[in-house]
Amino acid sequence: MDIKLIQAQIEGDISNAASLPSLEELRVKYLGRKGLIAELTASIPALAAQERGAFGREVNGLKSKLLTLFAEKEKSLSGGIQGATDNKVDIGMPGIAPALGSVHPITRIIDEICGIFTRMGFCVVEGPEVETESNNFTGLNIPLEHPSRDAFDTFYLKDYPKLLLRSHTSPVQVRVMKARKPPLAIVVPGRVYRPDAVDASHLFMFHQVEGFLVDENIRFSDLKGTLSLFAKSVFGSDIKMRFRPHFFPFTEPSAEVDISCIICKGKGCSVCGRKGWLEILGAGMIHPNVFKHVGYDPEKYTGFAFGMGIERIAMLKYGINDIRLFFENDLRFLNQF
Amino acid sequence: MKVTYNWLKDFLNIKIPPESLAEKLTMAGLEVVSLDEAGGDFVFEIEITSNRPDWLSIFGVAREISAVTGAKLKIPTPKEQKIKAKELKPVKISVQDNKDCPFYSARVIRDVKVGPSPQWLKERLELLGCRSVNNVVDITNYVLFELGHPLHAFDLDLLAQETIVVRRAKPGEKITTLDDQQRLLGPEILVIADNEKPQAIAGIMGGKASEVTAKTRNILLESAVFNPVLIRRTRQKSGLQSESAYRFERGVNLETAKLASLAAQDLICKLASGKPCGYKSIGITKSACPSVKLETAYVNRILGSNISAPKIKQILRALGFGLKAQGKGAFLVKVPGFRQDIKSAIDLVEEIGRIYGYPEIPQTLPAIKPNLYISGKRDVISRLENVLVGLGLQEAITYSLIDRELLARSGIKPPAQLVEILNPLSREQEVLRPSLVPGLIRCLAYNLDRQQEYVSIFEIANVFSARPDLPQERLSLGIALCGSRPILTKQGLIRDEFTLLHLKGILEGLFNNLGIREYEFSSQGSGLVNVAIKQQDSGFMLDLNKQSLDALGIKNKRVILAEVDLEKIFSHINLDKKFFGIPRYPAVTRDISFIIKDDIPIQGLLAAIEAKGLPLLHSAKIVDYYQGKQIPAGFRGLTVSCVYRANDRTLTESELVPLHNSICSLLEERFGIKLR
Repeated sequence: MDIKLIQAQIEGDISNAASLPSLEELRVKYLGRKGLIAELTASIPALAAQERGAFGREVNGLKSKLLTLFAEKEKSLSGGIQGATDNKVDIGMPGIAPALGSVHPITRIIDEICGIFTRMGFCVVEGPEVETESNNFTGLNIPLEHPSRDAFDTFYLKDYPKLLLRSHTSPVQVRVMKARKPPLAIVVPGRVYRPDAVDASHLFMFHQVEGFLVDENIRFSDLKGTLSLFAKSVFGSDIKMRFRPHFFPFTEPSAEVDISCIICKGKGCSVCGRKGWLEILGAGMIHPNVFKHVGYDPEKYTGFAFGMGIERIAMLKYGINDIRLFFENDLRFLNQF
Repeated sequence: MKVTYNWLKDFLNIKIPPESLAEKLTMAGLEVVSLDEAGGDFVFEIEITSNRPDWLSIFGVAREISAVTGAKLKIPTPKEQKIKAKELKPVKISVQDNKDCPFYSARVIRDVKVGPSPQWLKERLELLGCRSVNNVVDITNYVLFELGHPLHAFDLDLLAQETIVVRRAKPGEKITTLDDQQRLLGPEILVIADNEKPQAIAGIMGGKASEVTAKTRNILLESAVFNPVLIRRTRQKSGLQSESAYRFERGVNLETAKLASLAAQDLICKLASGKPCGYKSIGITKSACPSVKLETAYVNRILGSNISAPKIKQILRALGFGLKAQGKGAFLVKVPGFRQDIKSAIDLVEEIGRIYGYPEIPQTLPAIKPNLYISGKRDVISRLENVLVGLGLQEAITYSLIDRELLARSGIKPPAQLVEILNPLSREQEVLRPSLVPGLIRCLAYNLDRQQEYVSIFEIANVFSARPDLPQERLSLGIALCGSRPILTKQGLIRDEFTLLHLKGILEGLFNNLGIREYEFSSQGSGLVNVAIKQQDSGFMLDLNKQSLDALGIKNKRVILAEVDLEKIFSHINLDKKFFGIPRYPAVTRDISFIIKDDIPIQGLLAAIEAKGLPLLHSAKIVDYYQGKQIPAGFRGLTVSCVYRANDRTLTESELVPLHNSICSLLEERFGIKLR
């Protein structure tokens, strides 16, 4: 069989093709699964041993030639741009544009988290940073003189008895519930303050996002479902999540929520302390005492609440190893976001 | 808290390896933070939540393991030994206030041989990180760890008249505690005294004077219940932490107090050959144990689960609750004394969920009813942030707490009264900031020190000012610019040094984007510009003077600052839009190029042109300015571009020229311009 002849014939066909569909027909005819090239290749074993090598090489040459011809023809049939000048540009030179800034990584995470919850139907609300002892503690079922308060060391204000800098965003729960009736689906981002000694993982000011949902028939299973959606959309759909029983005065039942370590995928590494799990938030069913305090009927309404530290989420998500970087505001840090 | 695998095995048969046990404990709410092999045993370090004092013991953890694994729990039942009448010599006990000490008990044990503890006891204590002292002290510690109730042993012969008085300390009274520290006491502190002086700080630490030593022959073994708040206050005030205080603060109970006392006596008799010679107690005789009504349907309604009534019964029984059926799926649950955290049905729901296993509870999605009328400021803040980022600014977040000294250096005169922090940890946390400027300036200086050519940053955060009852908190926008921004153009690099006009441009861009029209910048001379919206002062722009720059250590650079009260801005935001028809007739543009004296402000000039040009003048804008060779000293060269237009016709030269000329004449007459 004369490959050269065949090639000339096909080249003619390709150059005569007037549209993409007719070119596709030719492609099937020659390069398709049952096309000519496939047929030729299939015929090789039937040849005399000494002819096989040479013939095989010829067929391969034809095939790669055809691939190039088809690609070129397809390009020419697809239309294109004709109106360029002859002016030469060195496109390696830097682009010219006003410089853009960027938002702080904390803002970026807050926006991302609030965005996820608003898509689920939550509203974003904020509250004051100077709070009353009642909203920060007693209204949330935290007795003033009990070890459960030790987790919430607090800055108090001079000259203002019973006023403090909120040590968590949960007081906004009390504020919103006092002002409104259920149903409520709220997320609250904001700054919080605790007199902690500063080191690579502690600061005296940080950010939290609080969320709560109150209605009739809200269940712990709803909390699990909601937070699972949340965790997957922040950290990726392949992460695993687990709820671990815990204690918070303002929720009952309470849980700490872990995700499978995003660094080692659960195998155990230095980031997760060889545990394979990373704690990312605290959550639970709003305690009936919190409802009673705001005048809700705990027989009628149930709800869940959750809260998380934004710096921690940002550190995990962006691989930041020192919390102090957030507020040093080094441009070489900020520019990366 | 630490527990060991072998010690736990005293109470139940554990069939799973330590690693699996750690996992099970963690998933039941006793988070195992470390697991180490030591001395042929395994030591679990568990983080115990503050609501569960009953978990602060080997036995408490064993009970939990029994509930989780189903293994049968061996409950310790030491027996009261019969005391021969002639040996009986009870001590005198008095409790000043039973609110401070609801229960106090003492055992007298005589003829004790104080000496080293047996090896097994030493080893167990050491695995938990507790140093061995002598057999009697070690036994009290052993029982503390095993059962969770703190005990104290006094040398009975060193108590004046073998008397115990539980009372508040008198002013000026002192005690030397077991850690060899002399401590000043006072009426806020509860002590265990003899007839003469305090012998222990109740619930926290014993005194040196009546310490059990090698010389001790007879002991008094205390087991009591103290008021948790009182212990907490004393612990906080004295800074004296102990295993005892830790447990008393979280709450102990009568039943365990009695059990521990008996268990310790048993051991002392066994290991230190003591003879029990009397027991006396004073105070409550029963824990207040509530009964809680619980329905299976309620459990499943809260959890979203489908847990059966028998399963609930099984879980609660294993945890030590008593159950009485009350109709279908309903129970009356008797709470044991050691579970003072259980007050209502919801607390039981958690217990059931915990042991049933959170992973077994399904995931569902709630039907959320969105309320679009609730909205905070977050949306508009995001909008602001995006505009500023688009204008080339970088967002910074700085601390709300600052030191006065930074404030004083920042070119802002602080208000007479600041909102002060009562308990700052350092000087950097002295006051709540009245302005965003200090933080931004610190950020500028920080970055200039790190070879940044230019810095352009903003922050949106609260500032605080002192008010009579409640400090005022207002959302504020701060901007800080410094240095020269390199701008690459077709002609090459331009270094564009930041000035007040750059900041003006940024604020104008922001206001326009927010639909705020009636804003005005007015300079009070110098580098201070007032920003007003609808004639209301809303902020300032500032070109920082050399004195302030020197104070900040910023050299050879200008610092341009702005701070705007966003609460004021927000009330003027207008994001409604109204479409105006696109003009059908062409506009005509005429430029006026002129020179004008430096000290004549431009603002009045443009306003005058606009007034004069009505109704055909559509806009007048400064499109170019120049100072240099061709302009005489003391003058500026300016080009104003006037755009004329009518809505109903194409303007003709004949109506345009006189109007334009009259504007030029006006400028010559009123502003002394010279046309170029």
